[in-house]
Amino acid sequence: MDELDILKKDWNKEKPEHKKLSTQDIYPMLQKKSSSIVKTLFYISIAELIFWILVNTIPYFTSDSYREQLDAIYTNEYVFTAINIITYGIIMLFIYLLFRAHKAISVTDNAKKLMESILKTRKVIKYYVIYNLVVAFISIITGIYFAIAHDPKLADTFTHLDRKQTLIVYSIFIAATAIFVFAIWLFYKLLYGFLLKRLNRNYKELKKLEV
Amino acid sequence: MNKELEHSFVELLEKHQNIVHKVCRLYTNNYDAHNDLFQEITIQLWKAYPKFRGDAKFSTWMYRVGLNTAITLYRKSKRTISTQDFAGVEFKITAEAYDDTEEQQLKVLYKAVHQLNDIEKALIFLYLEDKDYSEISETMGISEVNARVKMNRIKNKLRTILNP
Repeated sequence: MDELDILKKDWNKEKPEHKKLSTQDIYPMLQKKSSSIVKTLFYISIAELIFWILVNTIPYFTSDSYREQLDAIYTNEYVFTAINIITYGIIMLFIYLLFRAHKAISVTDNAKKLMESILKTRKVIKYYVIYNLVVAFISIITGIYFAIAHDPKLADTFTHLDRKQTLIVYSIFIAATAIFVFAIWLFYKLLYGFLLKRLNRNYKELKKLEV
Repeated sequence: MNKELEHSFVELLEKHQNIVHKVCRLYTNNYDAHNDLFQEITIQLWKAYPKFRGDAKFSTWMYRVGLNTAITLYRKSKRTISTQDFAGVEFKITAEAYDDTEEQQLKVLYKAVHQLNDIEKALIFLYLEDKDYSEISETMGISEVNARVKMNRIKNKLRTILNP
């Protein structure tokens, strides 16, 4: 193609719009901070881990009534310990998976592999969030159930409700929980959608070549 | 030791900086963005440099890191809300100076290349750098056949942009 040959001829000429940098220009550049997508993802995943750990632990240490309630639910100490071990085990597993996924990202891989490793990291975070949302959902539902079952005042109120009122109360509980879960899901969708828009587009473009 | 590493890296980058400038030229269209991308590619090169082994050519290694940064890692920083489109500036000067058909053609060509998507730009970049299809396929992570097919499509696409 003739046109591309013209372009090729011009391609290696130095352009006036970028001045040739000296070594003295380059040294300070090495000290600057990267603003790459991997770094942003890394910070988000750390924030994510800390956020959900706090959500899970703060109520237990700050609220006496919550602790009492929990103790009432888990009358068997072994069950409580076992659940704790499993919960923290899962968090540790996610930390390990995230660490491994981040380690696997290498700028010297080929373009497709690099994109895949970044998307894999994002997937680990996604599963962590889904896991937490499911746990949150189950905790809220069981919490409500136990509160009603164990609290005589609440139980009393509930026995006085007629069928229609009970139905309304339950519907409100379920709707509120669903809205809460949906809001968090939407937040993530927007956050990652925004962050990874370009990456996803380019990855799709590369994948398209393979078909 | 670290100083030595830094010194050898800076020397190499200074010598081969035009590769990075060319990547920036393709993926950005103003001064600030150009400098910002140059900065990010430099950081990525520097971070990866300790793992760079002499068995690959420094320039080949730079292509990979440079393109990966431009296509995948780089996020436009807030600093780069700017100003002058330099394809315009550059060609305004040259076009006025020698209103030459080849200059005119170049202007249109660069514009057309800028309209390509990120992946197509990467392929055109490697083509302009005279890389063969095996190197293109290795850099992008696609098969050689697919690289060839895609390159032909890009050439056709450019032709349509040039002669609508």
